[in-house]
Formats: sequence, structure tokens, C-alpha cells
Amino acid sequence: MFRLDAVGDGAVRLVGRLDGAEAERATASFAGLEGSIVADCSELDYISSAGIALVLVTLQRLNRLGHTFRLHPVQPRVRNVFKYSGLAQMLGIE
Amino acid sequence: MLVRRFPRAVGSLPVLVAFVREFFAARGIDSDQAFDVDLVLEELFTNMVRHARGGTSEIEVGLDDDGSLLTLRLRDEGVEPWDPAQAPLPGVDRPIQERRPGGLGIHFIRQLTCDLRFEHADGTTTVTAVLEVPR
Repeated sequence: MFRLDAVGDGAVRLVGRLDGAEAERATASFAGLEGSIVADCSELDYISSAGIALVLVTLQRLNRLGHTFRLHPVQPRVRNVFKYSGLAQMLGIE
Repeated sequence: MLVRRFPRAVGSLPVLVAFVREFFAARGIDSDQAFDVDLVLEELFTNMVRHARGGTSEIEVGLDDDGSLLTLRLRDEGVEPWDPAQAPLPGVDRPIQERRPGGLGIHFIRQLTCDLRFEHADGTTTVTAVLEVPR
């Protein structure tokens, strides 16, 4: 299961497994993000290309509006997937 | 090889994860090492669900392990020849606004496997992927 929790003032928390099935359900939650966002991914246990696609579309949308989208902190294995995708730097992932 | 068949649907992903955990437990492999196997299996399986033309209602998934290397085998029956290796590259170095959310799955698979083979014979596509799994 996956969930996106709003914790206030541009901060959200991504929790669980963002796989192909969960990404379809989570599309509306990501589409509802507004302004500059910092996402705590310390409890995001897994992500696949479907989840990365959702993050990419959200990053593009927020950037076009002059906002930023940062992920911090991120678990090591999830961080590797972002590095393979070429998005790590744009998302502020070290 | 432990072999099982799964409905041709993205909704099968949770039972695929459970299948991998069952295999890891039976072979005494720490489930913390399942991340890469889950990712390669999901990307291969969902590619078959979304892109293979034709096909029966189920896809066969097999797992095997020789103590250092883990082998994943997916068999898709009744499909036209299909090779995701021909998919366009995802352009991971392109400017962010020019990026398109496609092609990453096969890119991840290439990053994580030490051997990857696609074969098609008698209407069946067989994909074999080999990964190193730390012990």
C-alpha cells in the first residue's frame, strides 16, 4: 500500500510502496500538490518506473509554475532508483 | 525452479511480491535483499501486461537461485514476437521539461541484471533475467 500524507506548510510524507498498481491510485494525490513541496520519503520503501513517472510529471508541473519539488530524506535503495532515472539532482536527492 | 502463474493484470503485483518473499524465505535469503528482484520482476511483468499483443489470461513466473545468482523467468504464451529491448531509451540526460515518462522500466532492468535474454518461439515469449543477490 502507498499513501501521500500532507503534514502542512508545503511538506508531505510518502509512505509505503509506490508500484504500478499504487501509482494509478495515487495520481490524483500528486496532481493535487500545489506550491513548492518537500516530501519526506524516509518511509517510502519501494518505487518502480510507474512511481518515478508520477514524480517526474509532478516535478515538471511544479517547475513550470515556478515551484520546486524536493525529496528528503530518501532510503538508499529508493535513492538508487532515482539516480538510475536521472532525476536525483533535480529532486535535491544527495 | 519455483514456478507459478499470475493473472495478466497490474493488480497481480502484490501477489508477485508475496511470491518473491515466499521464495526468499524457503531459500533462507534475507527479505531485505528483495528490492532489486521486486523491481526487475515488476518492470518485466507490467511490460508484458501493457505491451504484449494477444496472450493467455495468465503469465508464468519462475524463480531459481544457485547460492549467488538469482534467475527470474517469465513466460508469456499466445503472444506476437515482442522484445522490450527495442524500446526507445528514456533520455535520462535530457533537460527536465523535455523528459517523457516512458522507457525507464527496461533501463532499470539493464542497470540491475547481469544477464538478460528475450526469446520467442511457437507463440511464447520467454524472458530470463539474472541478478546478483547479496547474502
